[in-house]
Amino acid sequence: MKNRKKPNEEQNRKLSRRDFMSAAAAVAAFTIVPRHVLGGPRRIPPSEKLNIAGIGVGGQGSGDLRAMESQNIVALCDVDWRQAAGTFRRYPNAKKYKDFRIMLDKEDKNIDAVVVATPDHIHAVASMAAIKRSKHVYCEKPLTHSVYEARVLAKATREYKVATQMGNQGQASEGTRLMSEYIWAGAIGPVREVHVWTDRPLRGLNDVWWPQGVGRPTGKEDIPSTLDWDLWLGPAPQRPYSSAYVPFKWRGWWDFGTGALGDIGCHRIDPVWRALKLKYPISVEASCTLVNTETFPVASMVTYHFGARDGFPPVKLTWYDGGIRPPRPEELEDGQHLGTNGILFVGDKGKMLEYTLIPESKRKEFGTPPKVIPRSPGHHQEWIDACKGGKPAGSNFDHAGPLAEAVLLGNVALRPELKEKLTRTSLLWDSKNLKITNLPEANEFLRCSYRKGWTL
Amino acid sequence: MRNLERTAEGQDRGFVRRDDQLNKGTGLSRRDFMGAAAAAFTIVPRSVLGGARHIPPSEKLNIAGIGVGGRGAGDLAAVSSENIVALCDVHQSHAAGTFKRYPKAKKYRDFRRMLDQEDRNIDAVVIATPDHTHAVATMKAIKMGKHVYCEKPLAHSIYEVRKVTEAAREAGVATQLGNQGQASETTRLVCEFIWDGAIGPVREVHSWCNRPISPRGIDRPKDKHDVPPTLDWDLWLGPAPERPYHPCYLPFSWRGWWDFGTGVLGDIGCHQLAPIFRALKLEYPTCVEACSSGVNSETAPLASIIRYEFPVRYDFPALKLTWYDGGLMPARPKELKEGLRFGNADDNLFLGDRGKMLGHRLLPESRSKEYGRPPKILARSPGHHKEWLDACKGGPPAGSNFEVSGPLTEVVLLGNIALRMGQKLYEKGLKLYYDGPKMKIINLPEANKYIRSEYRDGWTL
Repeated sequence: MKNRKKPNEEQNRKLSRRDFMSAAAAVAAFTIVPRHVLGGPRRIPPSEKLNIAGIGVGGQGSGDLRAMESQNIVALCDVDWRQAAGTFRRYPNAKKYKDFRIMLDKEDKNIDAVVVATPDHIHAVASMAAIKRSKHVYCEKPLTHSVYEARVLAKATREYKVATQMGNQGQASEGTRLMSEYIWAGAIGPVREVHVWTDRPLRGLNDVWWPQGVGRPTGKEDIPSTLDWDLWLGPAPQRPYSSAYVPFKWRGWWDFGTGALGDIGCHRIDPVWRALKLKYPISVEASCTLVNTETFPVASMVTYHFGARDGFPPVKLTWYDGGIRPPRPEELEDGQHLGTNGILFVGDKGKMLEYTLIPESKRKEFGTPPKVIPRSPGHHQEWIDACKGGKPAGSNFDHAGPLAEAVLLGNVALRPELKEKLTRTSLLWDSKNLKITNLPEANEFLRCSYRKGWTL
Repeated sequence: MRNLERTAEGQDRGFVRRDDQLNKGTGLSRRDFMGAAAAAFTIVPRSVLGGARHIPPSEKLNIAGIGVGGRGAGDLAAVSSENIVALCDVHQSHAAGTFKRYPKAKKYRDFRRMLDQEDRNIDAVVIATPDHTHAVATMKAIKMGKHVYCEKPLAHSIYEVRKVTEAAREAGVATQLGNQGQASETTRLVCEFIWDGAIGPVREVHSWCNRPISPRGIDRPKDKHDVPPTLDWDLWLGPAPERPYHPCYLPFSWRGWWDFGTGVLGDIGCHQLAPIFRALKLEYPTCVEACSSGVNSETAPLASIIRYEFPVRYDFPALKLTWYDGGLMPARPKELKEGLRFGNADDNLFLGDRGKMLGHRLLPESRSKEYGRPPKILARSPGHHKEWLDACKGGPPAGSNFEVSGPLTEVVLLGNIALRMGQKLYEKGLKLYYDGPKMKIINLPEANKYIRSEYRDGWTL
């Protein structure tokens, strides 16, 4: 890494081409202290309780912790103590922190595992800090903020042999299993086309969960006394506080979130990933409404192409968000709802909406496919079991890493800086080398530079 | 009296035009055609009014402009080989440039007054008002036996389009819609490639445009503004419902507001879908569905996809036609070589059983080179505006005369109904099924309210 200058605050948030080391080289160069030096995770028999710390404990974090209350919740960390107040009250015995780095230092001996539910831009640094201390990690989706981070994080968990799980709880559902089982039983024949959609960021007809397609706020706002803005920013570039980001609305901002695709893609593409044994896309392209360097577009369509895999033909996967959807399949009877966050498989011999064969007559005729996938004890329980020496959780980072990479690669195809170039080509993806092969300047969007003081 | 000068030739021309269009398969079967004409709407027979005067090619037309700023200025410039005798605009400052350019033309604010006062001095009108005024202006001119050039879309509602189309047929006036691309070489090539079987039977077409270029997905403003002294707001509103003036509506941005405009599809659809209609002889669709980035009762959305399904026609198989706007577009066809542009500005992608065509380029490039050009079977145009001028002087009907552009506009406007009913259809799990000849949405009665808009008191078609 000798040629690489450390990015500083004055530099553009993107790495210039000269400064930029290929993401692949960076992954290779990423050094992890062997776990025998650190001792690895402690062995916990199933009869014992895990000691769990939460990082980002308001919002979804509070829900994740509730799902793990069978264990000991020993420490809680949040940069916004008002947002975290309810969770703090619920676990009065847990120690409270603002900075996860301090918490991990001080509580190292008291913690077996962490639950990370911060905004997306903190996922990787917090997860990595925990992994390096041999803590098991449950991290909310999307696994990380950049493709590079997802690759490095998955690599680290293999080295440290910690138990991991991404927060896409739908993976543990009956529906996800049925989708695979129908496809594997040949219910619709070979699948060459899949459509996945969400109405997010729309919330109903005329409201949004969070704004997209907007510029940076110009007004000055006082930082709430309960919020540590500098810690909230974490590795992201410095900018003044605004209530346009916190809480929850950070999802729409490139520096912090990953848009509708990042929010929902890891949920809804996951069953497709499993059923069709997807590994990595060979190309990705996108079209969208006006997009700027601040926020994601109001609506987008992202198209992935996957090559042939293990007896599966090449498949085209199209993602839609912001109210845009695929055409209503003619096999779907009038009156049947297409779904707000849906999946449509198009096979050579039929179609399947979620895990329902269409039309109804086809579903009845086919019956149920053989149950070949073990059912889950529950998404969070899977991880708790894995932490105690059980089998890997369903969305462990070896699975979730590549899935998150593909999702985040879709966002690269939406970058406004690449828009003109991408009228002449798709992004061709070399997953092995973590590299966009036909548009070198696109590679800089595989990583984000970190503010001084932050490392992975 | 020149405008009473009606000849048998003039009569025949009217009928010849109609039959000619029928034979070309413009979308209306003869039965539909007669059915539509027999509807309740009554038009004073043109023998009473005198019809259009006979003008030999050697003579100049006397043309009046209605809505003469913006696009209207361009249209008038394109017909300025003729006499521009009167100009009408409700917005004096917006029209100022055009007024200066034609200093001898009489100036008006209200097209009704202009037509009444200048009746004897005008042969033809060019209408380039906002969409919500197209039909009332067009209809009055037609009823007075004037030839009409009207900007696209032909009208603001399907009902208006139908009535205007019928009236033009009855009156035997020469008409042209402002979709100038119809006169292009491209449009002809699209037809000739497809009719030559270059890509085989076409079952799927994708059409897109990256507009809008004015705000969408917004609510009605609440702040108050004084009406500029040069604007007659009441006349600008015309038949549209009363509302306070606001600069967010004009100029141009009215396109996004449902009461005045017709969104991107209305703005561009009549341009972009015209070659598809012509090449594939489209008539009314059986159904349509739409999704969007959010549509409200005030404005069109920022982005939408509208999907039409057309039945089998003549020798053409059933067709799925997908419209995208707001920057959305179909995925890059794999036949298009890396490095070749596939932009979101606007284009049409035809998917045939034996190949693909982007605009009028066969894909891949090698196929295009190998194929060369299809046989030239369509007559080339002397120019879009010239077509109309010729038609006014007894020449053949213009390429986008209302028999052709009426049905096209109806289908475009039907897309907007699907868009406005999109969420309802989605919740009910339906596509919108349509009976074109009857102008009726079959499976969602409440959607029919958008077929025809209510006019303010004092305005009629």
